[in-house]
Amino acid sequence: MSGTTDKSGKYLTFALGKEEYGVQILKVREIIGFMDITPVPRTPAYVKGVINLRGQVIPVIDLRAKFGMPSRERTEETCIVVAEIHQAGRKVSTGVIVDRVSEVLNIKPDQIEDAPAFDSSVRTDFILGMGKIGAHVKILLDLDKVLSTADVIAIAGLEKTAAAA
Amino acid sequence: MPSLSDLTEQLAAAVVVADKADLVTLAAVFDHLGSITQAAGEMKGNPGADRIQQLAGGTATLVQRILLNEVADADASLREVSRSATELQQMVEQALAGRSIPEPAMRDLFVPARESSVAAPPKGDPLGGEAPCNPEDRSLVLDFIAEATAHIESAETQLLKLEDEPDNLEIVNGIFRSFHTIKGVAGFLNLAQIGRLAHAAESLLDRAREGKLEIADRALDLVLESVDAMKRLLGMLSEAMKANVAMSVWPPLAGLIDRMHQFLSGASTAATPAAPAATVAAPAVPEFMKLAGGDQTVKVAIDRLDALITHVGELVIAQSMVAQDVTDMRRDNPRLAGNMAHLSKIARELQELSMSMRMVPIAGVFQKMARLVRDVSRKAGKEVELVLTGKETELDRNVVDAIGDPLVHMIRNACDHGIETPEARVKSGKPRQGRIELKASHQSSNIVIEICDDGKGLDTDRILKKAVAAGVVSADQAMSEQDIFKLIFAPGLSTAESVSDISGRGVGMDVVKKNIESLRGRVEITSTKGAGSCFTIRLPLTLAVIDGLVVRVGDQRYVVPLLSIEQSIRPAAEQLSTVNGRGEMCMVRGMCLPIFRLHNLFGVGAAEQDPTRAIVVIVQDNDRRCCLLVDELLGQEQVVIKSLGDGMEKIAGIHGGAILGDGQVSLILDVAGVMDLAAAGHKVAA
Repeated sequence: MSGTTDKSGKYLTFALGKEEYGVQILKVREIIGFMDITPVPRTPAYVKGVINLRGQVIPVIDLRAKFGMPSRERTEETCIVVAEIHQAGRKVSTGVIVDRVSEVLNIKPDQIEDAPAFDSSVRTDFILGMGKIGAHVKILLDLDKVLSTADVIAIAGLEKTAAAA
Repeated sequence: MPSLSDLTEQLAAAVVVADKADLVTLAAVFDHLGSITQAAGEMKGNPGADRIQQLAGGTATLVQRILLNEVADADASLREVSRSATELQQMVEQALAGRSIPEPAMRDLFVPARESSVAAPPKGDPLGGEAPCNPEDRSLVLDFIAEATAHIESAETQLLKLEDEPDNLEIVNGIFRSFHTIKGVAGFLNLAQIGRLAHAAESLLDRAREGKLEIADRALDLVLESVDAMKRLLGMLSEAMKANVAMSVWPPLAGLIDRMHQFLSGASTAATPAAPAATVAAPAVPEFMKLAGGDQTVKVAIDRLDALITHVGELVIAQSMVAQDVTDMRRDNPRLAGNMAHLSKIARELQELSMSMRMVPIAGVFQKMARLVRDVSRKAGKEVELVLTGKETELDRNVVDAIGDPLVHMIRNACDHGIETPEARVKSGKPRQGRIELKASHQSSNIVIEICDDGKGLDTDRILKKAVAAGVVSADQAMSEQDIFKLIFAPGLSTAESVSDISGRGVGMDVVKKNIESLRGRVEITSTKGAGSCFTIRLPLTLAVIDGLVVRVGDQRYVVPLLSIEQSIRPAAEQLSTVNGRGEMCMVRGMCLPIFRLHNLFGVGAAEQDPTRAIVVIVQDNDRRCCLLVDELLGQEQVVIKSLGDGMEKIAGIHGGAILGDGQVSLILDVAGVMDLAAAGHKVAA
């Protein structure tokens, strides 16, 4: 059963470790190099802190931590992707730390498959679909859903399972 | 300014060609009459001047009525105007030649003209298509709504003053002018219903101006009713403008207008006509089509003003970032140093100016309370006097908007629950009339608003009983008097005997507290049973900026609000002591204060652990004091408060974010929150 909404279009792809992900380019406001982040106490571990984006203070999420992956030292390639997400009916700018930004890909409908079905304990509503580009599989994320929950999402291993499917 | 004779000539010329349907020429006639009135007013010492003024002013009013279609016979009225024009010419000749002017002729001219227009039903379709929709007209209507609202509010204030001084003709005149102006511009814009209402009120006031009627009791109520009705009409018009539709159906209001006419006809036979007060100046220069030109102000759209202020804030930040970057270069380059200093000075002044643009006097909010007290006390059968002090105190515009509701709640409570009935007061030896004092003042970068009444005060036993019954506290909890007072802010608590539509539903005070806290303010209560209560609201002067001390803890920087800081010291070993091996204390000025380690509270690594090598900042919140352990004091800065974004708004101990001079975000401490956190023993692993 393929989804009724058209998920094709341009995606910004990036990597967290060995896994590749994609987010709709329309949601990306800008990409900035890594900068000093002011930590905010008493926030979940995946909330790295806040930064000053041209006078506006925006929160920054460590996507690795959000996905339950071990943290990693930052490198020259580490970036902050500033995305505009919908939260509580408003548009909010949020930064997301990624290991490496790859490229903007135009993903066609026939290249997108639904998220694989796991047992009910695993949430998959945050996955728009699995994009198959050549031999690689990129997990297409619905950022609104990723950032709307307070829990850590167990995403490790999803890509391998999808590739095997 | 053309001479009086020139003016009367121009007037005569205009009148000759005037036609009852020719609005443009009639308006010109009106303007000329206005100029004549003004010019005559400037002819001091000439006895004829008064009569010229009166004739010109009265004729102007007649012309207005012709314009509004409110005369029974427009042609006949125009003929009268023509007669006036001729007579004015003659009068001016006589006056300039030093001869006196016969008086009786004038009076005959006037009385019928006025009476006939009051009794006759207005012509024209009352529901005719009104409210223009094309852009220029729209902006005219919007301007009118703003002006009329200002006039109506002023009229209301004056009416309440009039209650205490019913024979103060100056006040009556002021109110008359307000309705007069509204009527004039409403007529120009074809807003007939508004014009009719203003006209009815104006007639009542006109009668009072002549000394034939006192605006008190019934008359006062009628005028107040028309104030309310006018507010409603303006509100509806405003909504229609916003929704971009034409107002085709106006509320009838015939009832109110009829009652006013009836009152007038009833009163005119009853009252004995007194001589019209000669000291009262002739009707002020008709402000028809002239929008308020009082003090020098301009109107600016609010979002433009806000945008300007935001940008000024960013300019200041950008400027201080540059200043930091060129710090080293400045040493070698005196010209650069000079320019930077100049730039900083300009930026600072810009910021102060922009902040002051948001400041408005609290008078507006206070005036609303006067009306509220009158209505509420009447409904509750109490007699209350409201004393306002410090109306000129200025606050940030946003704060003024937000403080209205809490004040309304508290004043309602004071009238309803605080002040006793006149009988009860007399029995306990108090004056019959209760007294509520509303006072605003500045106190060290805060604004303090006090609401004090001399009523029966808070009854701690009753409050406690209700709280226990409502399950808010347990019966055996130890509570100080202040604790019990604070209970009235608990949701669902109300000690009112009966629930009236005024108050008593127990929803009021907790909302009040929330509103005030969202403005970063606090409420304090003092009360003596039998004598009265006092609620004191403390608010920061502006919501957007805070004076702070930047401190370093480990590799992080925090801003501590300057207001909360009492002093900072490097403690000597002898001042330090521990309690139970866990709680640390520092002896300062004879006080033993607990030390809270910020690096523990916030999980900051690499911080100085030894207090004798660090700095201790002594802070206070209400009556609590403590010492905050920091590594270093970095300097004082006035920072713009930036919200941390959704999801991070309610972090305990953190008030918000601030962008420091080097562009980095730093967190602003909420001293009360920090103390709560520390007291609860929270620690965060580094």
